[in-house]
Amino acid sequence: MTSAVASNLLSDLLSGPRPAEWEKLREEAEARLARRDLPTTSDEDWKYTDLKALAGITFGPAPKATVDISGHLLPEMVGTRQVFVNGHHAPHASCASAVAAGVRFLPLSTASEACHALGMVGPTHNQSPFEDLNTARFEDGAVLLVPKNMKVALPLHLLFITKAETPIAVFPRLMVVLERGAELELVEEHHGKGTYLTCPVVEIRLAEGAILHHERVQRDSDEAFHLGTLKAEVAKGGQYHSRTLSFGARLSRQQPWVRLAEGAEATLDGLALLDGAQVADTHSFMLHAEPHASSHQLHKCIVDGHARAIFNGQVLVAPKAQGTDAKQQSRNLLLSETARVDTKPQLEIYADDVKCSHGATVGALDPEELFYLQSRGLNADDARNLLTYGFAADVLTHIPVASLRRTLRQLVMARTQAASLGDFA
Amino acid sequence: MLSIKNLTASINGTPVLKGIDLEIRAGEIHAIMGPNGSGKSTLGKVLAGHPSYEVTGGEVLFEGKNLFEMEADARARAGIFMGFQHPIEVPGVSNASFLRLAYNKKAEAEGRDELDPLEFDDFIHGKIKVVAMRSEFLDRSLNEGFSGGEKKRNEILQMAVLEPKLAILDELDSGLDIDALRVLGDAVNTLQRADRALLIITHFPRILEIIQPQFVHVLSGGRILKSSGKELALELEERGYDWVLAEAAAGGAR
Ligand SMILES: Nc1ncnc2c1ncn2[C@@H]1O[C@H](COP(=O)(O)OP(=O)(O)O)[C@@H](O)[C@H]1O
Ligand SMILES: [Mg+2]
Repeated sequence: MTSAVASNLLSDLLSGPRPAEWEKLREEAEARLARRDLPTTSDEDWKYTDLKALAGITFGPAPKATVDISGHLLPEMVGTRQVFVNGHHAPHASCASAVAAGVRFLPLSTASEACHALGMVGPTHNQSPFEDLNTARFEDGAVLLVPKNMKVALPLHLLFITKAETPIAVFPRLMVVLERGAELELVEEHHGKGTYLTCPVVEIRLAEGAILHHERVQRDSDEAFHLGTLKAEVAKGGQYHSRTLSFGARLSRQQPWVRLAEGAEATLDGLALLDGAQVADTHSFMLHAEPHASSHQLHKCIVDGHARAIFNGQVLVAPKAQGTDAKQQSRNLLLSETARVDTKPQLEIYADDVKCSHGATVGALDPEELFYLQSRGLNADDARNLLTYGFAADVLTHIPVASLRRTLRQLVMARTQAASLGDFA
Repeated sequence: MLSIKNLTASINGTPVLKGIDLEIRAGEIHAIMGPNGSGKSTLGKVLAGHPSYEVTGGEVLFEGKNLFEMEADARARAGIFMGFQHPIEVPGVSNASFLRLAYNKKAEAEGRDELDPLEFDDFIHGKIKVVAMRSEFLDRSLNEGFSGGEKKRNEILQMAVLEPKLAILDELDSGLDIDALRVLGDAVNTLQRADRALLIITHFPRILEIIQPQFVHVLSGGRILKSSGKELALELEERGYDWVLAEAAAGGAR
C-alpha cells in the first residue's frame, strides 16, 4: 500500500527544518545520560517523587513476546488497532486493515527512514531524563501520518502491552503528524504484567487547523514504573484535546508539554485513581507562544491508602501571546488520613491582555453533597461511593469513543466501590 | 402525620429554632412564611435530618415514630422529601441514573419491585412530562450547569419519582419565572393526595396562589408567631411582616 500523497508527506516531513540529524540526537541524549544520575528528591522538579525504589532494580532488555489481546479489544476499533508488545511492534496482534487509505502507519523497526522524523518537536521546557533514555535506547515504535484535510472516521487504537517475567525496561516511541486540516481520534493504552520500567515518548505535530483527540489510558501493572513524556506542537488554529487516565503503576509520572500557535486550542485533562502506596505525578507545561490561543486543564486525583498525588502545572504566556485564554483546575479528593496531595500551579504571564485562571482544591467529600444524596434515600456509604464515582467519572463524560467510555466508567465504578449501586456506565 | 412539639435547634452553638409547635395531618397543605433569616430553611433541614444542625430540645413524630432516631436516608425512605432552596450539583453522575438509584432504594425499602434501566426509561419519560422537562436533562450530570429554575424543576421531578408522604419545599419559587412557577405549582398540586401532606416554605406569597394552603404560619426569630388560614397569605402580601412582629411583641409584653 503506497499512496502517492502519503509518500510525499513523509518526504516533506523529512526535508523540513530539523534540529539535528537523527543519529546525532541519539548520541546527544546518550551523552547527557552519561553526565547525570537519576533525579533525587533534592531536585526541585522531583521533590515529591522519590525514584529510590526504581534505582534499586536492575532492568534487563525487553524480549519480543506474544500476547493474548482479546481482553483489550474495543468494538469501534477492532479493525483499527496497532499493538506493541514489550516495545516491539507486534504485527500478529495488529490489524492489517488498521489504517485508513492514505494514512501512513510506519513501525520504526521496519521503516527506519521514519526515525528521521523523530525529535522534531521541542525543545521543551520540562525535559525529563527519561525522554533522553527513550531517545537513546528505543528499538521500535511508530510514526503515524495523516494527510491534508483527511478526517479519519474510525478511532485508531494503539495498545502498548508489557509482559515482564523478570524486570525489563521498555521504550515505546511514537510520533503523530496531522497535516493541515486533518482530523483523528487516537486511543493510546498501556497495560502490563510484572515489574518493568516503561518510558514512552509521544511527539505530536499538528499543522494548521488539524484536530487530534487523544485518549491516554495508563493501566500498567501494580509493580510498574511509568515515566512518560508527551510533546505537542499545535500550529495556527489547530486543536489538541487529550485526557490522561492513570489507574496503574506503583509510580507514574506524566510530563506533557504543549506549544500553542495563534488561535490554537488545547485540552489537557487528567485523572488519577490511587490507592495503597501508589505515586502519580503530573508535571505539565502549557506554552502560549502566540496570540489568541486557549487552553483548558482539569486535573483530578482520588487518593486513598497512603498513596500520593503530585500535580505541577506550568503555564507560560509569552509576551506576544495577547488574547490568551488559559484555565487550569486541580481537584483532589482525599479518601484517607494518610493519603497525600501536593499541587502547585505555576503561571508565568508576560502578556497583558490575557484571561488566565487557576484553582486547586484538596479535601474530603463535601458534607452538603452527601446530605443531598442521603435526603434522597441513599445510605451514607452509597452516597459516599456515588460522589467518589462522580468525581472521577466527570473526567470521562466527554470521551468520544462510547465503548472506551463505558469500560473506563466500569473500571472507575469498581475502584470506587460504586459497583454495589448498580450499573451507571 | 407530622407532629412537632416545642422543637429547638441550633447550628454551631447558635440557637435558631426556639420552640416550634406544628401539627400536619394527611391531606393538608401548610405554608411557613417569614422574613429572611427567620429559620425556615433550618426547620426544613432539621426535619430532613441535616447533620450540621443540633436538636437541643423537643420532639418530632412522623407517623408516630421518633424522627430523630432516623438518619436522613431512613427518613427519605420512610416518605419525607425535602426540595432544596439551593440544590447541589453532582458532576459525573447522570440525572437519569441517579433518579433510578433513588427510586430503586425506596422501592427496595418498601418491598416493591425495582426497575431495570429500560423499565425506568418508560417510567421517567412519563414523569418529565409532568414537570415539562426536556429529556436531554436526563442525560446530563445531576444539576450540573442547570440554571436556578432548571434545578427547581429537577427537584420537583425527584419528588414526582419518589412520591413522598410529606414533601417540604423550600423556596420553590426562587429562580423561577412565572410560567415555570405555574408548571411546577400545578405539578405539585397533581401529586397532592388525601394520604400526603405538603409543607411549603416561602417568603413570597405568590406561590401560594397556585399551591393553596389550608394553613399559613409566620415564622420569625425561630418561633411561629401566628397561624391562620390561607387568607393570612393575602394579608402578608398586602401588609408585609412587620405588623405580625409588632402584634407578637405586644402580645409578648402583655
Ligand atoms: N451554618 C450556619 N452557621 C451559622 N448560622 C447559620 C448557619 N446556617 C444558618 N444560620 C443562621 O440561622 C438563621 C436562620 O437561617 P435560615 O434557616 O437559612 O433562614 P431562612 O430560611 O428563614 O431565610 C439565620 O440567622 C442564619 O444566619
Ligand atoms: Mg431559606
